[in-house]
Amino acid sequence: MTSETPRRRPRSRGRRRLGASLKLVGALLLAGFVYTAFAPGLAAQDQLSPTAVEGKQLYENNCISCHGSNAQGVEGRGPSLIGVGAAAVEFQVGTGRMPMARQEAQAPQKPPLWEGEELERVVAAISAYIQELGGGPEVPDNLPALLANADPAVGGELYRINCSSCHAYGGGGGPLSSGSDAPSLLETSERHIYAAMLHGPQNMPVFGDNQLTPEEKADIIAYLQTLQSEETDRGGLFDLGRYGPSTEGMAIFLVGIVALTLASLWIAGKS
Amino acid sequence: MTTTVKPSALTKRKQQLKGLPAATARGMDERLQLADPSVRTLLNKVFPDHWSFLLGEIALWSFVILILTGTFLTLFFEPSMQEVVYDGSYTALRGVEMSAAYASTLDLSFDVRGGLFMRQMHHWAALLFVASIVVHMLRIFFTGAFRKPREINWIIGVLLFWLAFLLGFTGYSLPDDALSGTGLRIAHAIVLAVPVVGTWVAEALFDGPFPGTLIISRFYIIHVFILPLLTAGLIGAHLAIMFKQKHTQWPGPGRTNTNVVGERFFPRYALKQGAFFMMVFAVIALMAGLFQINPVWLFGPYHVAVVSAGSQPDWYVLFLDGSTRLFPAWEIRFSLFNESYTLSPLFWPAVLMPGILTVILLIYPFVEARVRKDHRLHNLLERPRDVPVRTGLGAMGITFFLILTISGANDVLAHAFDISLNAMTWVGRIGLIVLPPIVYWMTHRICLGLQQHDREVLVHGVETGIIRRLPNGRFEEVHQPLAPRGQQLEYTGWVVPKKMNRLGALPPAVRGFFVPIEEPTPPTRPAPELERRSEAEEAGVGGESR
Amino acid sequence: MTTPTTSHREPARSEEAAELDVNDPQLTRFDLVRESARRNGIEIVLYEPRLPAGSRAERRVERSIAGLFLLAGLSATAFLVAYIWWPWEYDAGNDFLSSFYTPALGITLGLSLFAIGAAITVWVKKLMPHEVAIEQRHDGPSNEDDQKLMVATLAGALDDSGIKRRPLLKGALALGLAPLGVVAAAPLIGGLIKNPHAKVEPVGQSHLTFTGYNSELNNGRPVRLVRQDGTPVRPADISVGGQITVFPGIPGGTTNQYPNGPTLLIHLREEHAQELRENLYEMNKGSMAGNFVAYSKICTHAGCPASLYEQQSNRLLCPCHQSQFLITDNARPVFGPAARSLPMLPIAVDDEGFFVATRDYKVPVGPSFWER
Repeated sequence: MTSETPRRRPRSRGRRRLGASLKLVGALLLAGFVYTAFAPGLAAQDQLSPTAVEGKQLYENNCISCHGSNAQGVEGRGPSLIGVGAAAVEFQVGTGRMPMARQEAQAPQKPPLWEGEELERVVAAISAYIQELGGGPEVPDNLPALLANADPAVGGELYRINCSSCHAYGGGGGPLSSGSDAPSLLETSERHIYAAMLHGPQNMPVFGDNQLTPEEKADIIAYLQTLQSEETDRGGLFDLGRYGPSTEGMAIFLVGIVALTLASLWIAGKS
Repeated sequence: MTTTVKPSALTKRKQQLKGLPAATARGMDERLQLADPSVRTLLNKVFPDHWSFLLGEIALWSFVILILTGTFLTLFFEPSMQEVVYDGSYTALRGVEMSAAYASTLDLSFDVRGGLFMRQMHHWAALLFVASIVVHMLRIFFTGAFRKPREINWIIGVLLFWLAFLLGFTGYSLPDDALSGTGLRIAHAIVLAVPVVGTWVAEALFDGPFPGTLIISRFYIIHVFILPLLTAGLIGAHLAIMFKQKHTQWPGPGRTNTNVVGERFFPRYALKQGAFFMMVFAVIALMAGLFQINPVWLFGPYHVAVVSAGSQPDWYVLFLDGSTRLFPAWEIRFSLFNESYTLSPLFWPAVLMPGILTVILLIYPFVEARVRKDHRLHNLLERPRDVPVRTGLGAMGITFFLILTISGANDVLAHAFDISLNAMTWVGRIGLIVLPPIVYWMTHRICLGLQQHDREVLVHGVETGIIRRLPNGRFEEVHQPLAPRGQQLEYTGWVVPKKMNRLGALPPAVRGFFVPIEEPTPPTRPAPELERRSEAEEAGVGGESR
Repeated sequence: MTTPTTSHREPARSEEAAELDVNDPQLTRFDLVRESARRNGIEIVLYEPRLPAGSRAERRVERSIAGLFLLAGLSATAFLVAYIWWPWEYDAGNDFLSSFYTPALGITLGLSLFAIGAAITVWVKKLMPHEVAIEQRHDGPSNEDDQKLMVATLAGALDDSGIKRRPLLKGALALGLAPLGVVAAAPLIGGLIKNPHAKVEPVGQSHLTFTGYNSELNNGRPVRLVRQDGTPVRPADISVGGQITVFPGIPGGTTNQYPNGPTLLIHLREEHAQELRENLYEMNKGSMAGNFVAYSKICTHAGCPASLYEQQSNRLLCPCHQSQFLITDNARPVFGPAARSLPMLPIAVDDEGFFVATRDYKVPVGPSFWER
């Protein structure tokens, strides 16, 4: 045993403090890494694609107040979006139904918050976010190819069994109970029709690919496209709104009887 | 010496040809006595002139056009429920299974030249037929033309309405499309709802369960033969009785209850009829070209699992659809001798209500005659304002009918105007009970007001719009008297002139539609005699307005 | 200005005026016309030309009538040209011109007819003389003498036949004619009458009480639920919140031959299925298959397909008369004129994984009828 332990030269106060703080930082970092390794969810955020990150930004600016953080939904305001898929977002945001202006029986179609290319970008972004967050159905990219091979006659039969009860034979839509409404399909794009069938917005039932295959959906869209074209209204210059006998009855009085009453006034006059 | 030249054979033939019409007429007369005064009566018969008398003719000419266009359609339509596969030009239905009736209707619309035009003319003419019957019935009602001796024609008229209704219903059900097929199913349910015999009648009509394989063929023979025969017969009776009893007329100068003032049937009135036929045909042709009607290719063939939002029958059936939608779900179930029985909620609005309405219409002339204690013959019409109770009842009836008709399309209205569907039903239910009495009261008051105004004008004269100020500061309007001073004018049921230049039955002084035919007379100051009289008034009592 | 040549403004003549001699050569044609009317009880009271003959106004009216007739002719020719040469056939995707075929026909024909009608009207109103005639009505009952004679003529028939004093013949007449009258109506009415409650083989019930899901129609085996194209349905084929229309899987089951066959197969969300299970009527217990429920599509009001399925409010809306049925409560009607719930079809999944109807509906499907 040595009698004399070499005395360490005492460190300066500054160096002591520096060392202490370095140890503190190191301990904190260690704690942080441990936490990160075990904490759930936060790892997913790192795996979001750039488009989805942009989508998350847009989501938090426009949707979070009703649909909650992480799209979990808010009781009494908006349902969870986990599992609704890109199709839902493409439909709801693309047709302007979302963001909803106020709580009401049904989200009405209105001009979307964005326009043109910006709208496409926004829709793609939020779709990517929701899809990556919770999965769900997506509108296929080969829709144009499907449509090229579609048979409108088959689509017509499917339409009349599944769709015309709400959307009417002429595609003009109709009312549902207590203020809800099945909208007109005469101006709807093919992707939006597909998306709506796929995810069943609000009161519309869900027509998954298990029930109506993509080819059958394309058939229905092809049939709707014939309805959307003018040539299915060959009977005259005016189709009276395609509402059927009710507007026809109005027309016979407002046009026919009025014209003939004027004619009788001309021929016979008053006594 | 005179030489007589024998006429050549050619000249003789020419002379014979020239005399041919006369020779034919003489030949017919020898055999049929066509120059008899009874035949001449038809030509010389007098018809009064008023625009409202032509409304029934719209129905008559529409019926003629229906027969003409309908005959064309029968040449191409196949009234069979046999299933076929469509192979025509309309690609959106190619390969679809459908009945031959529907397929032949599609062929008419797409593969027959002008076929769609004929179909549309036929359908518009049908709508016009029923519309004009209703308008004509309203005219008869509001002017009191149904009174004795014309009750028989009124009854025939009500029957004609129902025949037209059935003709329309069977007609638009013939193409066997999904929209009319839905209506057919509802009709089947209505027949089922009839107590005791409902199931038997339905079974008889459809030859078994709904829809069976015979109903379209049965509707076909009903629509092209049985009903047109009955309708033509009743129209003939209707016109014959009208001819025999002579048309009613408005009161006026020279018109009494025992004469008819107007113009003779031949040539003037007959020509006007021909012109009006052309106009009715023109309106139908124009509507058939401009407005699409009943586009059956959009509906698809009838299938029991297919339906559309916004399904309506043709307008004249809408009142039944409306009553069915509005009537609450009151079903009566009871058991008797261990058997259970059901009185469907369809019975009240769809079977009983139209029955009651028809009975009310049929007996109305007799009820009114009894209530008014008036059993005399009437050939002069009454102005609606002079019979406020009848006019009020008529307005009430129109309101009732209109609310039901509008309710029949309440889903279309809900969708078009963004109104809740449930709210539309409640509005209809409450409106149906509350509005008719309100309308009755309003109409009654308006009639009384108009009557009062008539009498006021008769006493005080026509308003001239000229305001005079009296020396005491009062303002008064100068009135143009209708009778010499001191003479009272009685109300005779005739139009009282309310405007200065329309005294009596004369038409407006300035003639011409777009451009005046003559210069209008310049406005004149009040006649000197009038001025002197009013000055005398001012000096005397002062303030007595004329 | 030329004076009007025919202006007959005569006071009303009494009917007892002497009859004109129609052979008198001095009578004008109008005199004869007036005499013809007079002999029919009609007095021509006013007869004057509307426009002075040869005046500018008259010539202008003539020109306008001629113009209208020409327009009618031109328009009718245009109709013929369009009818024959305008393209009219339907060619999908290439249809612009032919979609104007019907309007072209309608406008040309309408114009032509209207021009003719207008031309005739103007002619009658402006060119033909203005006329007022008065005809006496002869209303009221016939002459009393005539009434007596008519009654006598009709009653004379009875006298001639002597039926009043031949009671035997009266009775025989009634007995003989009455059955013959029924015979005349018998084939027409009798041929139509069929018993709606007749038992239909092989089910052995009235057609009002069974549907295509009755296993007797399938040799005693449960009937599968099939789509419109005939393929059977698996549970995996319908997403949550989805519905599909199914039909009985027997020959002809998807056609109109089985009008009460269409059924709505719905895949409910978990919470709604739970709610329904708690609300099930006694009769409907055990009719669900997991979260799947099958209701008749045929509305109990008037038979339309009640097929508007509202996924969120859980209502089935019938578009015909707006009856609404609550899916989570045995499809009982909650609004509108329907008074009975939609029948529930008892379903299960068979060994091969397809939906079957374990038995037919337990109540008659469709609108009510008297004997229900």
